[in-house]
Amino acid sequence: MNRRLFTLAATALAAFSLSTQARAADELRVMVHSSFSLPKPLLAQFEAQNGIRLAIIKGGDAGEMLNKLILTRAQPIADVVFGIDNTLVGKALAAGVLEPALPQTADAPDANLGAALAAVDYGFVTLNYDKAAVAKSGISLPKTLQDLTLPAYKNWLVTPNPATSSTGYAFMLATISAMGEEPAFAWWAQMRGNGLKVVKGWSEAYYTDFARNKGAYPLVVSYATSPAAEVFYSKEKTPESPTASLNLKGGVFRQVEGVGLVKGGGQRAVALKFVDFLRSAPVQEALQTAMWMYPVQAKTPLAEVMRHAAEPTEFEAPATQVVAGKGAQWVARWTKVVLK
Amino acid sequence: MLPVVLPGWLRRSVWLGLLPAVALLVLLIAPLGRLVLAGWAGDVSLPGAAATEAWSLGSPWQDDYLRWRVLWSLAQAGITCVLALALGLPLAWVLARFQFAGRTLVLRLLMLPFVVPTLVAALGVLALWGPRGVLSGWLGVNLHNTPWLLLYGNLFFNLCLVVRAGVDALGQVNARQVAAARSLGATPWRAFWRVEWPSIAPWLMSSLCLVFLYCFAGFGLALVLGGQRYATVEVEIYTLVAHELQLGQASVLALWMLLLTGTVALVYALLEKRLAAPARVEPIARRPPHGMAQWLALLAALGVLFVICALPVLAIVWRALDAGWATWVTVLDAEVRGALWNTLRFSALALAAATLLGVLHALAAERSVPWRAAAFLPFVVSPVTVAFGLLLLYPSWTASLPLLLAAYAVLAYPFVAKSLSAGLDSLPPHVLHAARTLGASPQRTFWRVTLPLLRPALRRGMAFAAATALCEFAVTLFLSRPEWATLTTLIYQRLGHPGASSLDQAMVLACLLMLLALLAFLLIEWPAADHHDRRRSPASAVAVGAFLHA
Repeated sequence: MNRRLFTLAATALAAFSLSTQARAADELRVMVHSSFSLPKPLLAQFEAQNGIRLAIIKGGDAGEMLNKLILTRAQPIADVVFGIDNTLVGKALAAGVLEPALPQTADAPDANLGAALAAVDYGFVTLNYDKAAVAKSGISLPKTLQDLTLPAYKNWLVTPNPATSSTGYAFMLATISAMGEEPAFAWWAQMRGNGLKVVKGWSEAYYTDFARNKGAYPLVVSYATSPAAEVFYSKEKTPESPTASLNLKGGVFRQVEGVGLVKGGGQRAVALKFVDFLRSAPVQEALQTAMWMYPVQAKTPLAEVMRHAAEPTEFEAPATQVVAGKGAQWVARWTKVVLK
Repeated sequence: MLPVVLPGWLRRSVWLGLLPAVALLVLLIAPLGRLVLAGWAGDVSLPGAAATEAWSLGSPWQDDYLRWRVLWSLAQAGITCVLALALGLPLAWVLARFQFAGRTLVLRLLMLPFVVPTLVAALGVLALWGPRGVLSGWLGVNLHNTPWLLLYGNLFFNLCLVVRAGVDALGQVNARQVAAARSLGATPWRAFWRVEWPSIAPWLMSSLCLVFLYCFAGFGLALVLGGQRYATVEVEIYTLVAHELQLGQASVLALWMLLLTGTVALVYALLEKRLAAPARVEPIARRPPHGMAQWLALLAALGVLFVICALPVLAIVWRALDAGWATWVTVLDAEVRGALWNTLRFSALALAAATLLGVLHALAAERSVPWRAAAFLPFVVSPVTVAFGLLLLYPSWTASLPLLLAAYAVLAYPFVAKSLSAGLDSLPPHVLHAARTLGASPQRTFWRVTLPLLRPALRRGMAFAAATALCEFAVTLFLSRPEWATLTTLIYQRLGHPGASSLDQAMVLACLLMLLALLAFLLIEWPAADHHDRRRSPASAVAVGAFLHA
């Protein structure tokens, strides 16, 4: 009795789970990084207009997401990918996980992403400081990255690890791009001696160790838009942000994120529509306060709250070929210099 | 049909063992072989994985950073062993020698950490001692970024294992020998060291071997609690693959892990071999504690057990309840429901496959020692290593459901096999003979006599297999598609966004998963527990511990 019941249950379950396994024909699989977010009504509208269901697959940090695409390229797990940026595009192309050319990306601005990706948004990785913590310390803000190596700024900065976080990776690339490889790593070595804290990802740095969130570090590697997000999410109506960006020479990186077609994926027609959708006016407007990036289409009106986030005027944006060629070596070297 | 007439047992074991043998070969040995090859020859080609610098077989020892990882992994395992012995032996002694109300309950609760998923345990430790933790808030100490978090987590799992082995071993000490020593004038202290210790030491050493193995090859705890500095080699392998795509370096590390864990496993096997089946001895009678000192000892022992083994679990429950009804409602969104469904169906399918493999393996191994040893293989190899090997060997099958489930099943089935083997050993032969004499066919004897007799053992094995599948984390992280998130991977994701609300959600999910594991365990195991407990030898207790950890 028991046995028969068990066999029956197992068979039924197997059949059921395998049946849910088969992919629906009217489904577009969209691979995104973990920070992807858009208002639900917008996505629903896209689904209704195109008669398709969107399966949004979050693949972790952008770097991790790309590695997942590379490791599974024999059996692609998505049709479209959003979130590959100018630090990762070289690696993505070398690994052959993207369709090499999108049909219509002629209007891409100076996105530096190449033909395989259509730029969607851009942002700046830069330092943020907690105004209250800095005021309490009684020390004026550092003027250069070199200042941060002074004893006065001991135990001030927390950064995500470039090996596991695309934010940390971008910041490391900015220092190398501005200072040159040798001086940059000398700076990192000095920072290590000055109490630099390294954590796994951006959210851990920002939400656990940054002074704004009851952590111990007044400075964090974050985004130029983070101060605006602080205002946007604060419960009380704050006239100004409790944090601000600190744009130092060699400490600002311009990141451009794009969308592309996964090689071997399906649903080509709808996938291209999704590319257009991400670059359409409603999405360009919405993504500002959903993902805290700037819209790539210049005519898009800026969200009101973005006035709390000044766009840096000086930044680093190294060539994607250089990053693709040397990025992995730099990360390995960074690990040696800062963590070993 | 076999062309030659083989002896009956060989024929049977060949046919029965075919499926488990193929499974082990395809899902365990071949991937490991691939890994060894990759580590040895540097034969890992993956476009897009830019070569960094040359790595060789010796690089983990030449490179300061990697050497620190390996040495720290060894050190934390060693420290855990020392702590577990220092705390566990007195605890075991108190539990084995004193009779007090609730003793059986305490012994049963000692099994509790075994059904707690590693990730949940890690969260429990964080809820107590992490940033904004319950205790770190009250006591004003911050253990974040210290090795203590990881060591505490290690102890949570392994103290119970050592105590359990110690209690069972102390129950095998011959009362007459101790009485003789005492009447010859030995102090209780001296009698302990000269009579009791020598007879329990092998059991303890064998359990410490397992403790070392688990801690050394540990992944989930170290991933969450180790931080940047105190993570283990397994975490490094995972980071190298998932974040950096440095497959060459990862495979060299995996190769070294295999060598080191293999060595420890060998020592364990040798120790186990020396542990003969216990002779019938007259155990030392338990007495109620009398006198201030003995009561204090008992209270202290229970207190230590509570702090190390119960507090993290309670902390999670407390934090989950504290998160408020609103979090509980919002937490059950589509994503969580999907993960819950994935967890349930993957576990059920894996359990079905594991049961089949386990039963076949146990029947095939009835008279074959090598086959019995083979059931230990999946324990020796860490899930991260297996998953990585599978990834290298079957690139076109990564992120396919059959491979994921097969990996689950191979990691879980030894529980069934080992438990069933023990059950087969204790089958009374005369009952089977009687059935055959009364005219039952071999098949009928199997279904009507053997199987019902084996039911408790089967249940126990399935319970552990189910708990393993429910709590599976490492393989899922490697081989799964993102849309197949299970509860464990979802908890890990939420943990990666440690805003206060995400942390609350992670706690609620952890609570949910713990309840699920407990429920599965109770459903399958509890009815069988009672009459099984009485016939358990220390060896099986240790083996049970082994099950639970994998």
